[in-house]
Amino acid sequence: MSPTRRELLATAALGAAAMPFAGCERLISRVARDLGQSIPDSVAVASGAGIDPAFHLLSRAAFGPWPGDLERVRAMGEPAWIDEQLDPASIDDRACDLRARRFESVHCDPSLGYEFKKPVLREELSRHTLLRAIYSRRQLFEVMVGFWSDHLNIFLEKGDCIFLKASDDREVVRKHALGKFRDLIRASAISPAMLVYLDGKENRRSSPDEVPNENYARELLELHTLGVNGGYTQQDVSEVARCLTGWTLKTKWSKGTVVFDPLRHDDGEKSVLGHTIAAGGGASDLDRVIDIACLHPSTANHISAKLVRRFVCDDPPPDLVSRIAKTFSETGGDIARTVREVLRSDEFRNARGAKVKRPFEFVVSGLRALGADTHAHPALVEYLNRMGQGLFQLPTPDGYSDEASEWVGSLLWRWNFAAVLSTNQIPTVNAPVVELAGALDAIHGESIDAPRFVAHFTGRTATPVETAVVESIAADRSVLVADRVAGVVALVLASPGFQRH
Amino acid sequence: MRRSSRRVFLRNFVLPIEPAEVNRRHTLVVVFLRGGADTLNILVPYGDDRYYGVRPTIAIPPPAPGGSADCSVRLDDFYGLHPMMAPLVPSFEEGRLAIVQAVGSDNPTGSHFETQDQVEHGEAYGHPIGGGWIGRMLRSRGAESAGPLSAVAIGTAIPESLRGARSTCAITTIDEIRIGASASRAGDFAAGLATLYAGEPGVLGDPGRETLALLSKVETLRGQSYEPSAIAAYGQDDFAAGLREVARLVKADVGLEVACLDLGGWDTHFVQGAATGFQADAIAQLATGLAAFDRDLGTRSADVTTLVMTEFGRRIGENSSAGTDHGRGFAAMLLGGRVAGGRIVGDWPGLIEDEALAGPGGLPVRIDYRSVLSDVITGPMGFANAAAVFPGFEPQILGLTT
Repeated sequence: MSPTRRELLATAALGAAAMPFAGCERLISRVARDLGQSIPDSVAVASGAGIDPAFHLLSRAAFGPWPGDLERVRAMGEPAWIDEQLDPASIDDRACDLRARRFESVHCDPSLGYEFKKPVLREELSRHTLLRAIYSRRQLFEVMVGFWSDHLNIFLEKGDCIFLKASDDREVVRKHALGKFRDLIRASAISPAMLVYLDGKENRRSSPDEVPNENYARELLELHTLGVNGGYTQQDVSEVARCLTGWTLKTKWSKGTVVFDPLRHDDGEKSVLGHTIAAGGGASDLDRVIDIACLHPSTANHISAKLVRRFVCDDPPPDLVSRIAKTFSETGGDIARTVREVLRSDEFRNARGAKVKRPFEFVVSGLRALGADTHAHPALVEYLNRMGQGLFQLPTPDGYSDEASEWVGSLLWRWNFAAVLSTNQIPTVNAPVVELAGALDAIHGESIDAPRFVAHFTGRTATPVETAVVESIAADRSVLVADRVAGVVALVLASPGFQRH
Repeated sequence: MRRSSRRVFLRNFVLPIEPAEVNRRHTLVVVFLRGGADTLNILVPYGDDRYYGVRPTIAIPPPAPGGSADCSVRLDDFYGLHPMMAPLVPSFEEGRLAIVQAVGSDNPTGSHFETQDQVEHGEAYGHPIGGGWIGRMLRSRGAESAGPLSAVAIGTAIPESLRGARSTCAITTIDEIRIGASASRAGDFAAGLATLYAGEPGVLGDPGRETLALLSKVETLRGQSYEPSAIAAYGQDDFAAGLREVARLVKADVGLEVACLDLGGWDTHFVQGAATGFQADAIAQLATGLAAFDRDLGTRSADVTTLVMTEFGRRIGENSSAGTDHGRGFAAMLLGGRVAGGRIVGDWPGLIEDEALAGPGGLPVRIDYRSVLSDVITGPMGFANAAAVFPGFEPQILGLTT
């Protein structure tokens, strides 16, 4: 009897949860704590009916505040915080590195990826992504990593993508997340994982009767650059596909390494979006196509609208989009300067609480607000699957939706997450609710100042309804103080207020 | 005093939510026989002498006059069922069970994992699409139709076929559908949520209130121990327990669209047995489970279609250790009130050696497995066509369901 796939997966899961790393992880948690991943002795909360502007900035340009972040942003001022975040290399991130760097497969070149089993690759990349989002001090960088991972979505389960995505994450998304848009798109165009995901590696025209594969060319124009109504034609798609023929992957030695095969390239003259690309360009056709697409005015609009939808509101105001597009064009597609413009706009400031968190934002902001200690084991990752945002698990190339309606069908699993997280029932996740309560100065003998938790997690004063609900739990003296605190935190995490940001 | 009155306020608040809306959907239950089931000993071609020639020790004897526990159960002049399939004979005779012969994929590798992946992804060999066929099917509907329980795997892991679905969960019992607060505070938690979501506007408020209604419905179910229909004789095994939970979810109208279950024990390379023995035990588990499920559903069987499939069939001839090795074509089964059943669909390809056989001695594939799935997708599942699930594939029209 050979084991069934399910039995193999179950065994792999057991192995991953087994003890060998437990001691090592405890040590990492200790050291990381000493490096600042801890809850300060005293944590201030916001007040006022509306969400505090510094809290708002941390909710959108970061995955929510870590205890103490609010005071820090208020002290340095929002503009200074934005500028600091836009220069991630200047931020010491050793404490996060300690947790996130140890996964071997995320450092691999494409060909080495094939040395790992699929469940290992899936698990390590997911854990790495979650740990960076939770613990990195380069929060805006991580938010942009998430943004581009959606914009240039790759489904881990298609073909060999799972072996190649780690290098795409590193060499495409992370390398250029706050760099030049043109460099990002060029890197993505010949990223091995993208060549598999959108069939670029099959795109060839060795003889005149071969028809190029247009899958990538179409998505490049429709999703990655100009946008669906960006003014390109079917003819442009075909011509872009011709330009990109010949880029493929090695299949034997150095399997998965990108290579340009001139024999598969269509070297005739092409016409893309009104530009003529002379015959005989060979591999340089790629650069010509990327320049034409990235410099097209529709691209500035499309990318700006997407940034506004992510950072500001589901329905981007046209005025703001055109202002951002102007910055994008004038800076030659400088991502950092474009994002800066979005975050400094009045529209951004006025959109407090207007968006519903996506599951990933919900999970990560909850862990951060609690100052939780985790190594993102599969038990934690699994909650994202249940909420509908499994990491790198979207089959279609459009990326996970930014619109609220996509995410509100799975509230049950958010509530469950809130309940098990606050009561420390997720294996290997430690949420120090009592320590947090102390820092918030929310426990006085037997009595609990419950509305302070609402303010801590939502960045504003609790509403009368919220106050009534959390106080009724906090006041039940038949229950231990610690359990009451956990009950209050569970409700706040599950409340509509914490689903918004 | 002030606080206790809030308690009362909260308790009172929960009440108006109660009459939960009926969320009735057609439910597809996919039973995957892991390991490559030898369906030639399940649907027995007793009318083909060659079957007995190539299986000297493991063939199932032809039906005996008056019936016998060692012989196949007669379906027609050519086919019989394995004696352990007897519990399903009434479902067949009443027209709710159809068997489709010589179904399969074009995967030539003989690898369990590769073929399971391909079949669960709904792909042709070497042409990956991405995601599972059920995931693509569910995603082709709008987001608004996806509830927290539209796609459920019974067990501990999400199968490949569900990859890409909006929200999936693996549960072993309905009891896992709850809010995971400790029991002493669970009531307060739900009551608190009811208050918090009551005044919330549409985008979060409506789904919040619907989810609370779902929870209260499941809570009611949990309070009552589930009593299957009196004529349903579920076994004590995990497969039966899983089907029992599916029946419970169906009857509770919680919006279940797809449930996936696995049954292992089909990789019978070695002494697989005949009317009794190793494979017979697996068949008994399958047949008693499905028969109990079918009877338990009763009139609700019109709302459920159960599909039984495997990654590949086994070779027509037995090997030197009285087992069978990996083959190709297999018989799939469809069970339910909307199945045009009581018949065997698909021609018998015959057990002729040489080029007619698939690979080294497997039953030839006459019906692409995706044609069977397409029939269910466009039939009881109510999708206009299966092109979004199987791009570029032209399904054969089989008329398996109405």
